[in-house]
Amino acid sequence: MKKNKHRITPGRVVLAAILVFLYAPILYTMVFSFNESRSLTKFTGFSLQWYEKMFSSDTTMSAIVTTFVVAILATAISTAIGTITIIGLSRCNKLLRGAVSMVNDIVLMNPEIVTAIGLLMFFATMTVRKGFLTMLLAHIMFCTPYVMLTVAPRLRSLDPNLADAALDLGCNPLQAILKVIVPQLMPGITAGALIAFTMSFDDFVISYFVTGNGVQNISILVYTMSKRVNPSINAISTLVIVIITIALILINVLPPLWQKLNKKKEETA
Amino acid sequence: MKKLIELKNLEKTFDGQQVLKGISLDIYENEFVTLLGPSGCGKTTILRIIGGFLEADGGEVLFDGQKINDVPPYEREINTVFQKYALFPHLNVYDNIAFGLKLRKEPKDVIEQKVIRMLRLVGLDGFAKRRVNEMSGGQQQRVAIARALVNEPKVLLLDEPLGALDLKLRKEMQRELKKIQQEVGITFLFVTHDQEEALTMSDKIVVMKEGTIQQIGTPTDIYNEPVNRYVANFIGESNIIEGTMRGDYLVEFEDRMFDCVDAGFEKDEAVEVVIRPEDLDVVPVTEGKLRGRVKSVLFKGVHYDTMVETRAGTSITVQMTVRDAKPAVSSSAEECISANDFYLDIEDVEQLTDARIIARADAQAWNPKTDEFLSISKLKYSIEPKNGVYPVTFETHSGTSITVNMIVADANRVQNKENGEEIYAMNFFKSADEIQESMALDHDLITWADASAWVLNSENEPDIRVRISDVRYTFDPENIQPGTYDVTFSTKGYEYKVSTTDRTEVGDVVGLAFVPEDLHIMRKG
Amino acid sequence: MKRFRGMAYPYVLFICILVVVPMLLIIAYAFTVEGTAFFQHQFTLGNFARFFSDAVFLQVLIRSLRVALFTTVICLLLGYPAAYCIAKSEKRQGILILIITLPTWINMLVRTYAWVGILQDNGLLNTVLGWFGIAPLHLMYTDFAVVLGMVYNFIPFMILEISSVLAKMDPSFLEAAEDLGADKKQSFLHVTLPLSLPGIISGITLVFLPSVSAFFIPKLLGGGSYVLIGNIIETEFLTAGNWSFGSALSLIMAAIIMLSIYLTRRIDKNRGDVS
Repeated sequence: MKKNKHRITPGRVVLAAILVFLYAPILYTMVFSFNESRSLTKFTGFSLQWYEKMFSSDTTMSAIVTTFVVAILATAISTAIGTITIIGLSRCNKLLRGAVSMVNDIVLMNPEIVTAIGLLMFFATMTVRKGFLTMLLAHIMFCTPYVMLTVAPRLRSLDPNLADAALDLGCNPLQAILKVIVPQLMPGITAGALIAFTMSFDDFVISYFVTGNGVQNISILVYTMSKRVNPSINAISTLVIVIITIALILINVLPPLWQKLNKKKEETA
Repeated sequence: MKKLIELKNLEKTFDGQQVLKGISLDIYENEFVTLLGPSGCGKTTILRIIGGFLEADGGEVLFDGQKINDVPPYEREINTVFQKYALFPHLNVYDNIAFGLKLRKEPKDVIEQKVIRMLRLVGLDGFAKRRVNEMSGGQQQRVAIARALVNEPKVLLLDEPLGALDLKLRKEMQRELKKIQQEVGITFLFVTHDQEEALTMSDKIVVMKEGTIQQIGTPTDIYNEPVNRYVANFIGESNIIEGTMRGDYLVEFEDRMFDCVDAGFEKDEAVEVVIRPEDLDVVPVTEGKLRGRVKSVLFKGVHYDTMVETRAGTSITVQMTVRDAKPAVSSSAEECISANDFYLDIEDVEQLTDARIIARADAQAWNPKTDEFLSISKLKYSIEPKNGVYPVTFETHSGTSITVNMIVADANRVQNKENGEEIYAMNFFKSADEIQESMALDHDLITWADASAWVLNSENEPDIRVRISDVRYTFDPENIQPGTYDVTFSTKGYEYKVSTTDRTEVGDVVGLAFVPEDLHIMRKG
Repeated sequence: MKRFRGMAYPYVLFICILVVVPMLLIIAYAFTVEGTAFFQHQFTLGNFARFFSDAVFLQVLIRSLRVALFTTVICLLLGYPAAYCIAKSEKRQGILILIITLPTWINMLVRTYAWVGILQDNGLLNTVLGWFGIAPLHLMYTDFAVVLGMVYNFIPFMILEISSVLAKMDPSFLEAAEDLGADKKQSFLHVTLPLSLPGIISGITLVFLPSVSAFFIPKLLGGGSYVLIGNIIETEFLTAGNWSFGSALSLIMAAIIMLSIYLTRRIDKNRGDVS
């Protein structure tokens, strides 16, 4: 048995190559968003002109605002609905649970384009004006199953008598949920909310089919702009990359930091 | 018999912690050897080193006289039954057992014959096509044994293989394993933390503690002649008493001389005496070598587990003064406040806090209509570290108050040099109501008297707490009247566990009898 | 305990409206004569007949399947060793998983667009190749570009699925294999590989499914004339306005996906339950 701590194995070479492959385009986009010229191959000098263009364009700014508003609303609503539903479902009979999880599976497993055309036809048949509201409804629809999927394992690991214990000790049902169940589910809920946010923030296919009347999110904007070579896309992309990365880092760094702070508080108390 | 495996001074360190501290052990052909010890004693580490899954940091592993430290597991003539069996879930029973044979490219018909013979040996005829996941723990266990044995190893290593089974199945498998070992006639090296398992199955037991071997011997040797307190405690139940050798075949304990069968100690050497519970007999007081009071009797089916106390523990008696104290009621009659007088140890005056005063005085305020508790917002007192009586006033937000006395007195403690213990408690005041309302009176009395006990030690080591096991009082808690009562707190004294078929009642005074052969003398340490 | 049951009902209603009804609409329209609404009861199988009788559509379907298959195979061949490597690295496992996951959180469209600049005739890749004296390659608007775009987007799923199964695998299985006489290569072939099959299966599902239905990757990297089945569906709904044919296409695609998932799961089942 030899120590192979630093040996170069084929697996490691492939892994390294894949990491380069995954990150090179992201890096490339970010670097060229600061390019002075329109060129996508030669970095001619540092400039912020594409960012200026981005922030001065009304279409771009309204797309950014739409993306954020939809993402935040969809996250908040789907997290709330998802959590409430999964708690309720845990008390329902097998049949309903099975039915809901089957429908959720349809949402998760269906090709996005199929979900998208279904919604398109539904909104058209109901003669709902396509726009912000339809986009928001669609986002809530596809985000909620992810929230439920993330919260469910946490709920299953809870003692099923927890709520009963709370009721026994004098909580009313609402207090039992808010003071006992929800705090226990919190890690799952935050993870679910994060997934919902990024899903909504990044969505293209479904938004593309259910929007209308000039309401665009960032993805749709990039798609329509990409028909011509356009370096402002790099600026927008960089913005998206930075926002998502910050969100991810916050989520990965904050909870442990919180715990540490709490521990310190306890120690000093 | 031929020496098969030889361990020479094995050492192993994990994360800076030495788990094997120079293990040397010989294992012979056809032996059933058990490594016995609590978890973390290094027994599994030894097994994994022999199996080839771990490298020793120092020392040698010899197999048939050849050093095999660097031989990979797949080239060793040793097979393992893993703790959770590690049966391959993607293969059925037949393919699991045939795994090793197929790798050696044995002809198909030979493989089939061998697998079928193995299935018969472990009692699983007809299970060849079963999925391993669909089998019970006991059946999986048998498959794991068959899978290892089919390769005809010279040694079979078993890593706590019965740990996952329930008690009844365990007993059955113990017998079965022993039978299989005798049938195939190879060496079994078995790891367990269950002393009973070790005693039932082994030819040789190796008792381990913290990476060292404590004792190697046959089950009877280890049971009857443990080398030290650790082994005696680990194997079976035992009474261990401090004693002194007064010469060959003569030991003194409990201030009395007894004949024994051990010799070779120095004169007046401090020793420990082991008496197994089943070697003690309960007899009338006049016939006993020791006498004591029966403290508890547990019925165990065939026999009674009887605890006999030959010498009481350290005890202290304090006075409880019961008063008919009335709570103070506010003028508006919307608040009540109550508190009681209390004693304070003079040594505690320095570190007195409001919270402690409230606790000692059991001060509380409440609304008599709603029964809701109110907070006590103000305390007024002045105190000096001198014996005397100091008033203290408790007050609520709206000014309802009560005044009680803090009585500072010298500490009341009792030392028991013989038992090496000290016990402490204080006199206290209570109202009859509180005594009647108490849900765990013994425990509350300990709290109210602030009673505690600890081991006396000369060095400045932290105190080792001793449990107060007995609280005695003469009053009737249901109908207690104002007055002064004695309360006695005691620790456990010298107790002997006796396994006997004689029925006794708690409180009986009995004698304990034994013969010299029942005493086993160990060196201290 | 029935107390909290009612909390689930609003969502049940919500998904009935926004998931079940739209799915039923797709089925209804797929069997409705073009240009009429489903409630006019103009039942037809013509939409399916049109698809299977037209060589162009069949070619698109075959191309879609081919691209998806290539993507899946490449993801598996590259992803497996990478996943194996991640599962074996004990200390850095968490951080490696995070690094592999991170790109999947970033907008696919944005990441795919980056390749346009890299793969162009005068793009970054050709510039770099030029430094080594390699003549410019025509990469954009080819099968290569499309497959590359898909591998790029979907390989993290394959790696994550396989590495999570490998990491969860009880190391005592490998010890048992070695104990029974298997060397490193044999234990990999007879134990590790079969035990990681569930991860491979779900990896394949997660890569194959979006590859078949992808439509903006072929559009961005394959160009306007590079058509996969997803692109036809988009055109039918957003340009041609032919809901009936579009729905029929979606149903065919969904059926193919279901069938392939079912088949891969069957393979898994036959190999035995691994949990």
